[in-house]
Amino acid sequence: MATNAELTQRLPGEKPAKPAFALILGWLIPGAGHLLTGKYIRAALLFAAVLGMYITGLALNGQLYTTISGEILDILSYVGQLGLGLLYFLARWFGWGAPSIVTTLADYGTKFLIVGGLLNIISAVDAYSLANGRKALK
Amino acid sequence: MITHFSAVLLFSLFVSVVFGITQRTQPEKMVRFGLFCFACMVGACILVSWLMYFIKH
Repeated sequence: MATNAELTQRLPGEKPAKPAFALILGWLIPGAGHLLTGKYIRAALLFAAVLGMYITGLALNGQLYTTISGEILDILSYVGQLGLGLLYFLARWFGWGAPSIVTTLADYGTKFLIVGGLLNIISAVDAYSLANGRKALK
Repeated sequence: MITHFSAVLLFSLFVSVVFGITQRTQPEKMVRFGLFCFACMVGACILVSWLMYFIKH
């Protein structure tokens, strides 16, 4: 178990990053928060993973939630997809994604888009933790 | 064409990559945890699929 002193310790040559900036940038562009903290391989892997979820979701004709209806599941799905950051707004701008779910695979596609957004939020929070020193930079 | 099973594999792969990187601090542990998550997700999916098959038949 690492102590607090070990967790906040930075390796020589590592640049401190602004935590809030890493969080917002990480949300807007998947992996960009890690890029800011100097974790290039992790950034590339996170970008590939979230982009993969996004492309697979769209390829399966997943539904893109554009408006908030009164139903709780729709609201949660909308918030989840918002986690995709710029990718979500790109899909809205170009009209990608189905307006409704018509097949089983399209339902899977919708879940890919939602979970992709949630994964992006997790990675942005991880970048925040790296930037403020809560998570060790190894 | 993406099948149901290939969708499972892709989903598990992408989720495992993010879980591995974000939930562990050391690279070796990240790889190990990512592989563990992948095996758990795919294994559970196959198990539940066979369970549903036997329930139906």
